Amino acid sequence: MTTNQKTQKTIIIGLAVALIFVIVGTFVLSYSMETLDKQAEQLGAEEHPVYEPPFPDYVIPGIDSVWGALAIGVAGTFLLFGVGLAVAKLMHLKKGQKS
Amino acid sequence: MHIPDGFLTPQVFIPAFVITILFWAICLKKVKLTDKQVPIMGLLTALFFAAMMMNYPIIGGTTAHLLGGAAIGLILGPFAGGISVTIILVLQAFLFGDGGLTALGANVLNMGIIGVVVPCILFLALNKAFKGTGKKLYAIIFVSAFLGDVLAAIAAGTELGLSQPVFQYGLSVAVPAMAINHSIIGVAEGIVTMVLIGTLLKLRPDVLEQSPILKRLPVFQNKKEANE
Repeated sequence: MTTNQKTQKTIIIGLAVALIFVIVGTFVLSYSMETLDKQAEQLGAEEHPVYEPPFPDYVIPGIDSVWGALAIGVAGTFLLFGVGLAVAKLMHLKKGQKS
Repeated sequence: MHIPDGFLTPQVFIPAFVITILFWAICLKKVKLTDKQVPIMGLLTALFFAAMMMNYPIIGGTTAHLLGGAAIGLILGPFAGGISVTIILVLQAFLFGDGGLTALGANVLNMGIIGVVVPCILFLALNKAFKGTGKKLYAIIFVSAFLGDVLAAIAAGTELGLSQPVFQYGLSVAVPAMAINHSIIGVAEGIVTMVLIGTLLKLRPDVLEQSPILKRLPVFQNKKEANE
């Protein structure tokens, strides 16, 4: 197996694992109450957002269902892969590095 | 561990931004990626974005998620690792409101700098002291990842504790609460990091060999010496 084939296989397996994480995170481990949120709740401290994100709390506006959250998670995973790869390629090209 | 807008005072979030910007500048100047590491950076960025979607119940009705900084830092090195975690945090803040924009510097400082750099430094020191082979290697990875998470949580607790009058608990409550609760997820972080690096060590040692951190493992050093 060539290095390119090995890399393709690694990426496919890795992304499959990431999608399993998204499914588990959406259907099983979705409830979030972080320590700092709990402390804020006890103190009566409130969030004061300075910006309205397009998909607040990983929800598609108007589609408040678990399937919408799953779609966001899947799309987000591929987006992060694309952005991470693009930034890595840019840094690699800029430095003109070789393996 | 994503701090939202409104929890930190300017006296805390502005210095955090300054530290973060300096770190980004150092990262962009020092980062070195090989051909083999480029796709792996994309993969790890996506993998730990997805891993952060899983919220594990810990104690007192609270939850926590993996940070990923240890695995990303050890595999890519602290500079590429810092940039990778920063990409996750920036997109989470701008697209999903997961972490505030005013707190972005603090969140990057905690998860993208401390959560990445501390495990790298600890790993290098422990590997030098104990020679990371066999079970010792996995113990070194576990300890590095665990302490990276705990120190990131302590940093977040410190920022919250210093943000008077929003967090009236102060340092004496905020720091221990964050450290104790996040030590549990630190155990999970240690196990996941061990499994990921152990798997790559078996299946893709060629990728780990190019890590500025993991290339110092005896297995790679011995191979290098044999080739010379």
